[in-house]
Amino acid sequence: MKTVLKTLAAALLLGVAAMGVAKADPVKIGVAAEPYPPFTSPDASGKWVGWEIDFIDAVCAEEKLDCVITPVAWDGIIPALTTKKIDVIASSMSITDERKKTIDFSDKYYNTPTAIIGPKDQKFGATPDDLKGKVIGVQVSTVHAVYAKKHFTGAAEIKEYQTQDEANQDLAAGRVDAVQADSIALGEFLKSDQGKGCCDLKGMVAPDVEVLGPGVGAGIRKEDTELKDKINAGIKAIRANGKYEEISKKYFDFDIYGEDSQSN
Amino acid sequence: MELLSPYPPGWGEALLIGLLHSLEIALGATCLGLLIGTAGAFGKLYGGPVVRDLLAVYTTVVRAVPELVLILLLYYAGTDLINQLLAALGYQLIDISGLAAGIAVLGFVQGAYSTEVIRGAILAVPQGQIEAARAYGMPPGLMLRRITLPAMLPFALPGLANLWLIATKDTALLAVVGFKELALTTRQAGGVTKAYLTFFLAAGVLYLIVSLVSNFLIGRVEARARRGMPSIKDAR
Repeated sequence: MKTVLKTLAAALLLGVAAMGVAKADPVKIGVAAEPYPPFTSPDASGKWVGWEIDFIDAVCAEEKLDCVITPVAWDGIIPALTTKKIDVIASSMSITDERKKTIDFSDKYYNTPTAIIGPKDQKFGATPDDLKGKVIGVQVSTVHAVYAKKHFTGAAEIKEYQTQDEANQDLAAGRVDAVQADSIALGEFLKSDQGKGCCDLKGMVAPDVEVLGPGVGAGIRKEDTELKDKINAGIKAIRANGKYEEISKKYFDFDIYGEDSQSN
Repeated sequence: MELLSPYPPGWGEALLIGLLHSLEIALGATCLGLLIGTAGAFGKLYGGPVVRDLLAVYTTVVRAVPELVLILLLYYAGTDLINQLLAALGYQLIDISGLAAGIAVLGFVQGAYSTEVIRGAILAVPQGQIEAARAYGMPPGLMLRRITLPAMLPFALPGLANLWLIATKDTALLAVVGFKELALTTRQAGGVTKAYLTFFLAAGVLYLIVSLVSNFLIGRVEARARRGMPSIKDAR
C-alpha cells in the first residue's frame, strides 16, 4: 500500500513537473484542428499538409524561426493565441476590424473571392434576391458568417456550423440549400467525389471590404511586434524571391495573392 | 476497408493513438477522482463544519456545471489566470497541455461524483465493525486501511465502475480544445476521406471494446473485493 501511494505521489509530481516545463523557444503556429483543404489538412500520420503549411514553413525558413504546427479548435483559436497556447494563427483567418480589436495581423498573404455553392438541380445566383427562402450554411465565427448575417438576414435562414466540412456535408445531405465560404475551399469540395456529384458553383457574392476584409493574414498577439515584423519581412521575401509562386503552383492554377494592397 | 489499415494513408494507427490518448485521460482522471473522492468522502463524514460545508459546495457546484463548460473554463480562462499569477510573481509562464487540462478537469468532476459514491459506501459499512476497531485501539490510519476501505469497497465498486465507463466517454469532450483523442481523430479522418460512416463505426467499436474489457476486469476486481462474503443468491 505504501509503495502504491508513493508511486502515485511520484507520478502526480512528475505530471505536474511535465506540465510546468515551458518551452519558450519554438514559435507555435496554430491551425484549426479540422480538414480545410487545400490550405490545411491532417494526413493519416498526423502530419499537417497544404498550401498554408508550405507557406508558413517557407516564411519560417526565411526568417530562421523554429516553427511547430499546433492544431487548436477553430472557435477557440483567438483565446488560444491570447493565452499564449500558440504564437501565430495561420489558419486562413481574414483580417477584419472586429478581430483587430483583440489581436494583430501580419500583412495579407492571400485574398480570394467569396463564393456560394448549391445543389446542381437548382438554379440560383448569389444575390439576396436569389437566396430568398433558402437555408445558407456557414462556418461559425468566420467573415462569411458575418457577411451572411449582414446581407442575407430576412431573405434567407442562416445555419452555422463548427467546421466548414460539416457545412459541406449538410449541403450534400440536402439539409441546407446553399453554402457560403471562401471560393478556393469550396472549389476543392466541388472537385471531390462527393462535391462533384451533388453541387456546383452558384456565383461570387458582392464584395464588402468592411466585413470580408482585405484578405487573409497571420494572427499575432498585439504585443508581439517583433514577431509581426519578422513574419511581414518573411512574406515580402518569399513574394520577391519566387518561393511564394512556386508553392502556389503546386496547389493552384492562378495567383491567389489577389491585388497588391498597401499594407496596413 | 483499406482506410482503416494501420499504415498511412490508412487511418488505423491514428485512431489507435487517439484511443490511447483517450484512455490516458480516462485513467488519469479516474485516479485523480478516486484520490479526491476518498478524501472528500472522509471529509464529509468526519470533517468539521467548515470542511463539510466546503465539500458540499464542491460536490454541488461541480455536479451542476456541465463538464464541457468546466473544460473550456479551465483550458482557456484557467491557463490565463495561472499565467497572470505567475507573471505577477515573476515566474516563467507555463502551458497547460490538453492532456493535463483533461486529466485535471475530468478528475475534478470525477472527484465530486466519487465523493458521493464512496460516502454512501462508507455509510453502508456496519457501524459495529468500526466500533470494534476503535475498541481495539486502532489508530485512524490503520483503521482506514484494514477496516473501512476493504469493508466499503464491495459497496463502492459498482458506482465507481459506472464512473470509469463515463470517464472513458467523457474524454470525447476534449475534442473542443483541439486535443487529439479518439473522437477528434475520427472526425478528422472522416473529414479528410469523406468516409464518415466507416470511421464513426470504427470509433464506436473501439469504445465498445473498451467497455467490454473494462466490464470483465471490473468483474474480477469485484469478485476479489467480495471474497469471503456469502453470495446473494444463496442467502435467499
